[in-house]
Amino acid sequence: MTTVLLDPSSETVPAERVRADRLEALTGKTIGLLDIRKARGDVFLDQLEERLTERGASVLRYAKPTFTKPAPIDLRHEIATQCDAVVEALAD
Amino acid sequence: MHDTVDLEDRGVPSVFVSTVEFVDGADAQAKALGTLPSAVYVEHPIQDRTDDEMRVIADKAVDEVISRIVGA
Amino acid sequence: MSSSPSDSSSDATVKPPLPDGIVAFVKRDCPTCELVAPVLASLAKDAPLTVYTQDDPAFPDGVARVDDTDLAVSWHHEIEAVPTILRVEGGQEVERALGWHRGEWEALARVPDLGPGLPELRPGCGSLSVDPSRAPELAIRFSGSTLKARRVEIAELEDEQEAFFDRGWTDGLPIVPPTEARVLRMLEGTTRAPDEVVATVPPDLAPCTVEKVAINAVMAGCKPEYLPVVIAAVEAACTDVFNIHGLLATTMSAGPVLVVNGPIRNAIGMNAGKNVFGQGNRANSTIGRALQLVIRNVGGGRPGEVDRATLGNPGKVGFCFPEDEEGSPFEPLNTMFGFEAGTNTVTLFPGEGPRTIVDQIARDPESLCHVFADALRHMLTPKMVLAFDVILVVSPEHSRIFREAGWTREDLLKRLHELTLLDGDDLVRGANGIAEGLPDSVRGNQVPKFRPDGIRLVHAGGGAGLFSAIIPGWANGEMGSAPVCKAITS
Repeated sequence: MTTVLLDPSSETVPAERVRADRLEALTGKTIGLLDIRKARGDVFLDQLEERLTERGASVLRYAKPTFTKPAPIDLRHEIATQCDAVVEALAD
Repeated sequence: MHDTVDLEDRGVPSVFVSTVEFVDGADAQAKALGTLPSAVYVEHPIQDRTDDEMRVIADKAVDEVISRIVGA
Repeated sequence: MSSSPSDSSSDATVKPPLPDGIVAFVKRDCPTCELVAPVLASLAKDAPLTVYTQDDPAFPDGVARVDDTDLAVSWHHEIEAVPTILRVEGGQEVERALGWHRGEWEALARVPDLGPGLPELRPGCGSLSVDPSRAPELAIRFSGSTLKARRVEIAELEDEQEAFFDRGWTDGLPIVPPTEARVLRMLEGTTRAPDEVVATVPPDLAPCTVEKVAINAVMAGCKPEYLPVVIAAVEAACTDVFNIHGLLATTMSAGPVLVVNGPIRNAIGMNAGKNVFGQGNRANSTIGRALQLVIRNVGGGRPGEVDRATLGNPGKVGFCFPEDEEGSPFEPLNTMFGFEAGTNTVTLFPGEGPRTIVDQIARDPESLCHVFADALRHMLTPKMVLAFDVILVVSPEHSRIFREAGWTREDLLKRLHELTLLDGDDLVRGANGIAEGLPDSVRGNQVPKFRPDGIRLVHAGGGAGLFSAIIPGWANGEMGSAPVCKAITS
C-alpha cells in the first residue's frame, strides 16, 4: 500500500530520490568492492578487482558479516569515506 | 540493495550485482525503497561454477559495472 | 435483498442516480433510524421504496436495501442527517424530510397513519457522509481533487518520515506527513483560493501558493486556524524591506522572529504568559516553523547552502510568540507600525535568541531603565552602534513598575534612547582594551546605540519573576532588514 503525499517544494527538482553523481573517469579513483558473502562471490570480485586495477582504479575490499542483513552502519560509513564508488556483489 | 541506496544517499555512486534470478526481487525491492535500481545482472546459476567460469562471468560484466558508476 | 456497493471502477465523481419512488437514508447506529425501521417496512408494502444504509448493509429488515457504506450516494445527494427520506420522480428529487416527523413523512409518502405508537417527532442523527472525521477524504474521492501540488508516492517499504528527510524537505525534526486530506483540512483555515500566489519566496524566487503554504503548515504541525497567521508571515518575510534572502545568507545568528498581535492570539490559543519563548504551546511552536519550512522548501533556503550562519540560533527552527496585550500598560507592538490596537497582525523581526535581563530590586522606572539600557548597550558588542535594532520584551512584574509610575511606551523608549547614548571615546578602536571599534573621528562625540525607531517594545511573559529580555536584531537599513508588520486576514 503506497501513501500519497503532497510535494512541499517549488517542484523545480525531481521528487524521486536523487542518485549520487557518477564519476567522470575511473582512473585514479578508489572503488570499493563489497562482498555480500554468498558462495562464489569472492572469485567474481577477485576478477573484477583485477580488471578495475588494469583500468587505473585502486580497489579496496570489504565484506558484510552476513548477506541477510544490511551492512553495519560503521562499515557503510567506512566505505563512504574511503571510496569514490562501490560495487556490491554477488547476489543470487 | 539497502546498502547501495544508503551509499548513494551518502554521495557514493554504487552498483549492485546479482544473477538474473534476482531481477524480479531486486526490481520489487528497489521500487519498494522508492529508488531506481542501479543493478547489473549476470547469468544464473553461479554456485556450481568453476573458478574459470566465474572469471568469465566477471569479465563479461565488467563494462556494464563500470558504466553504472562512471559517466552521466 | 441487498445489493453491493457501486462498482469501484466507475467514476466516483459522477453523481449516482436515484430510483423513482421513496428513497430513505439510514444507519443502524442511529436510534431514530431504529425507531422508524418498522415504518419503512410498512411503507415498502404500499410504495416503491429504496433504503440506502450507511453502516450496516443488513439494516433495516423487510425493505429493499442498497449498501451505501462507501457513502457515495449519501455524499453526492448531500444527505446531512439520518433518517432522511426523499420523494424522487423522473430521477429528480422533489421532496425531502429529515429525521422523524409523522406529518412530514405522511405528506411525503402520501400515506396516512404512519408509525402508530411512535412519538410525533424525533430528530435524526448526523449522516456519516458529513462526519467531520471523514468529510475531507470523501470530498477528495467524490469531488476530484482541486489541489495542484505534485503527488509524491511513498513506496511500501519506505518510511514517510525518512522519505521526507531524504528529499531534504524537513528541518531535521519529524514532520506531519502532508496527505491530501490533511492539506484540504488545513485550507479550510483560510478563505483564500489554494492557487492564489501569496509571495515570491527567496532565494530561488519561487512563487508560493496558498496550497504550498498549507502543505508546509501541515508538516510543521499547525492547525487550520493558524494558517492565516502563517500566510501573513510568508507575505511579510518576502517583502523587500524584510529581506529574508539577506537574513538567510548572513553569517550572523539571526532568523525571522514572529510577534502576533490582536484577538487572533487568543482565538487560536497562543501563549503570551509563562514560558512565552519556550516549548509547550502548539501555536507558538508551529507557526514560526511553518514559515521556516516554506523558506526552506519553496524558497530553497537551506542551511549550509544559501543559509551561511556561523552559529545560528535554536529559534531558527521557528520562533513565534504573541504579545500579552491584556496585561500591558503599553500600546501593543503593532501600533508602532501604524495599525490600530486590536488589529490582527504578525510582525516579523530579524532577530536571534532572547537574553534575560534580571532586576529584582528596582522599585522605580528610572532604576529599571538603567538596567535595561545596560543590557542594550552591550548588545552584540558595546562598540557596535546604529546598525542593529532590538526588541525589548518587558514582563508583567517589570511593567507594573512603569504602570504604577504612569509611564507610557514613549516615556520608556525616550529614556532608553537617552541612556544608550554612548561616549565616542569608549567606542574607538582600542578603547577599553578592545581592538574592535569605530574610527577616531567619533572621539569627543556622543553616538546613539540605536536608530530612532530601533527599539521595539513588546509585553509578554509569566506573572511571577522580575525579568525582562532583549531580542537582538540583525543589520538594519538598505543592505539589511527591517521589521515588517502585516495584517492577518482570513
